[in-house]
Amino acid sequence: MRYFLPDSQDLVDPSFDFDTERRLATRQRQRDDLYAHEVFTERAYDGILVSKGIVDGFGATTSRYTLAQRQRLLRTGAPDFFRLSRVKWGAIPMMGDCGAFTYVKEEKPPYTVEDLASFYVECGFDYGISLDHVILAYQPEWDQTGALAEMQERQELTLSLAQNFFDLHQRDALPFTPLGVAQGWSPRSYARSLKELQRIGYRYVAVGGMVPLKTHEILATLREMNCVRRDDTRLHLLGISRIETVQDFARLGVASFDSTAPLRQAFKDGKDNFYTLQRTYTAVRIPQVEGNPKLQKLISSGKLNQERARELEKACLEAMRRFDAGEVKVDHVLERLSRYEEFYDGEASHQDAYREVLEVRPWKHCPCDVCRTLGYHIILFRGAERNRRRGFHNTWVFYRRLQRELGLAAA
Amino acid sequence: MNETLRIPAIEVKQSERRTLYTFAVDGKLVHRFATISRIRRSEDGNLSGYQRPEVLSHIEEIRNYVESESPMVPNAVVIAFDSRVRFEPFAGPQSPYSRMGELVVPVDESLPEERRPGFIVDGQQRLAAIRDANVAQFPVCASGFITDDVREQTEQFILVNSTKPLPKGLIYELLPNTDAQLPSLLSRRKLPSLLLTRLNTRDSSPLKGMIQTATTPGGIIKDNSILKMLENSLSDGVLYRMNQAGGDELEVEQILGVLFSFWSAVREVFSKEWGKKPKDSRLLHGAGVVSLGFLMDAISERYRNKGLPTKDQFAKDLSPLKELCRWSDGYWDFGQNQQRKWDEIQNTKKDIALLSNHLVIQYKALVWNRAPTARGRQLELSPQA
Ligand SMILES: [Zn+2]
Repeated sequence: MRYFLPDSQDLVDPSFDFDTERRLATRQRQRDDLYAHEVFTERAYDGILVSKGIVDGFGATTSRYTLAQRQRLLRTGAPDFFRLSRVKWGAIPMMGDCGAFTYVKEEKPPYTVEDLASFYVECGFDYGISLDHVILAYQPEWDQTGALAEMQERQELTLSLAQNFFDLHQRDALPFTPLGVAQGWSPRSYARSLKELQRIGYRYVAVGGMVPLKTHEILATLREMNCVRRDDTRLHLLGISRIETVQDFARLGVASFDSTAPLRQAFKDGKDNFYTLQRTYTAVRIPQVEGNPKLQKLISSGKLNQERARELEKACLEAMRRFDAGEVKVDHVLERLSRYEEFYDGEASHQDAYREVLEVRPWKHCPCDVCRTLGYHIILFRGAERNRRRGFHNTWVFYRRLQRELGLAAA
Repeated sequence: MNETLRIPAIEVKQSERRTLYTFAVDGKLVHRFATISRIRRSEDGNLSGYQRPEVLSHIEEIRNYVESESPMVPNAVVIAFDSRVRFEPFAGPQSPYSRMGELVVPVDESLPEERRPGFIVDGQQRLAAIRDANVAQFPVCASGFITDDVREQTEQFILVNSTKPLPKGLIYELLPNTDAQLPSLLSRRKLPSLLLTRLNTRDSSPLKGMIQTATTPGGIIKDNSILKMLENSLSDGVLYRMNQAGGDELEVEQILGVLFSFWSAVREVFSKEWGKKPKDSRLLHGAGVVSLGFLMDAISERYRNKGLPTKDQFAKDLSPLKELCRWSDGYWDFGQNQQRKWDEIQNTKKDIALLSNHLVIQYKALVWNRAPTARGRQLELSPQA
């Protein structure tokens, strides 16, 4: 089963100095920065998923690309833009997607099938997913009572766009493998979509709208789909990473999936920020006085003292440095951390989690390229340079867990 | 620990009730006797203090500068003292309005910060940068006045901080003539500003005298449009590939060569619209200039393996687009029933993206993918009517 990492222009700046927190003045964004596949010497994902919604931006989702970057992506193609030729792991296939979540509230998708196909061709993707409209409702009882008209329309629209997309693909012999999208509100309605997509001619089908579903609901849906699935039809799960069930997924025809969860959890999750092969740990929060909006507001309104905030912040960084050098014990670090946390948050709520991670020091045992070069900075929840590197590490660990679950590698 | 600082100063009597002291002091010492009066509201809603918090990224820029080889900070910081500070004149020469002497400043670091005898009215970021900088000392010029009235301090704070900033365009025009270590935002603009200057002043430039700047007020193209076009190409286009030695003179001349060739080709192909003001044509309007910049990058990409395109090659590749361009009249056809009147194209992010995408996609369809040298991709999309 192949794991695709969704692109969100997650890069790290190699010129960033973690002690002074400065970067080279001449550094150019993206050009001098590194993708995860440029950081790791060993494979951390099987492919990259790029969505039009992220590249162009739509509505409240602002583009992660500047106009000049967008133009370059379309001009030179994704393999060049992502500098894939430099990667030592072997091929990294690129999959294109419309990014239906960015326009989920619209009545209709804001693109045409031609727009999307042209985007895939210009970018030089290996796989292209047809244009779809997400159904965000899992209601199996609708199979008896009848689904909301809006949901039925979205399913019909997604299927007819899949037909147009397939026709265009055939007519112009477009140079990528097409995927149809199955949308539904119940196991049976998903199965119906799959049947229809197979009739159109698709042999690779992406399953959408399952992100909010519980694992047993996903499995029920895949089982129902499996009853109509042809032997030569493969499935791709959009936005799903349930590592415990990958074996079941594989038996039900799932050939690939994509997920940003390992990367995002590094800095979005309340507690599961640092992955290991066995479990997760909480990262140590030392917010930057000038990078934390909540803190910044309290300071500019005069409610908190800026000098005091900086003193406490510096004391935490210094304590971590000395802890890593073996000069101070866990309790010393915890005392500094809780003083700062009380100051900006009103209470110190992470003490137990911090004690656990500081006593185990899991980063010391991780053989990934990031941990080996970055040391204890990887466990600090602070600023994009550290947080994203921790996300890279998580992705690398996740890929190893996946291989282990699949019995492919002794990780 | 109690001590007294004696700082040589000149007393200047500026008006009947106002006396100023001008002196030099090590920036690292200032925090021992002066502090910041932070703005805040007390429980009863009354306002106290007048300073905003420090902007750490700005301080970091100044700090880098202070740590550079030979920094100079000519502007004086302004400090308001309370009456615990006094001036003791020296015997000796004096003028009707000035005399030499010493400011006598008590230092008691056991006092809470807000009880120190000085308040920093202007220069908090500079002083914070010097305090943090990795230098042994850094003397600064300072002006001080003595008052126990916080209103007087607030008044001076407002006065020094409400001067009008220099217009951006003037700063950009001055940039190429500096060598100092500049704040990062400005140093990123230095090469684009230099290229703009040469585009605007060289006899051989097709854009000579056409770009509006502080010294060329009659230009018809906004300086910002040209800067944006240059920055796009320097970050992601053909100029990026050419700008690898850090902008030395040879590189700058090569870059100018491409720019002159391309804009000469634009002048030739779109001769009818060339030289018109943005209100009469969108060719030299922000949206036109930036979109054309992307065409320059696209054409250069197509010729990538054959060196840099000449003026004739640029013109040959631009010509097929002439028919569908609506710079000065009619309607653009953006496909899928999307039509826009020529003068409805605005200088907004959205319109610039729309026009740029359209032109580059059409260029790919009409020129790039048709040519025998094209990469192996073929895409026949629904033909535009
Ligand atoms: Zn690691």
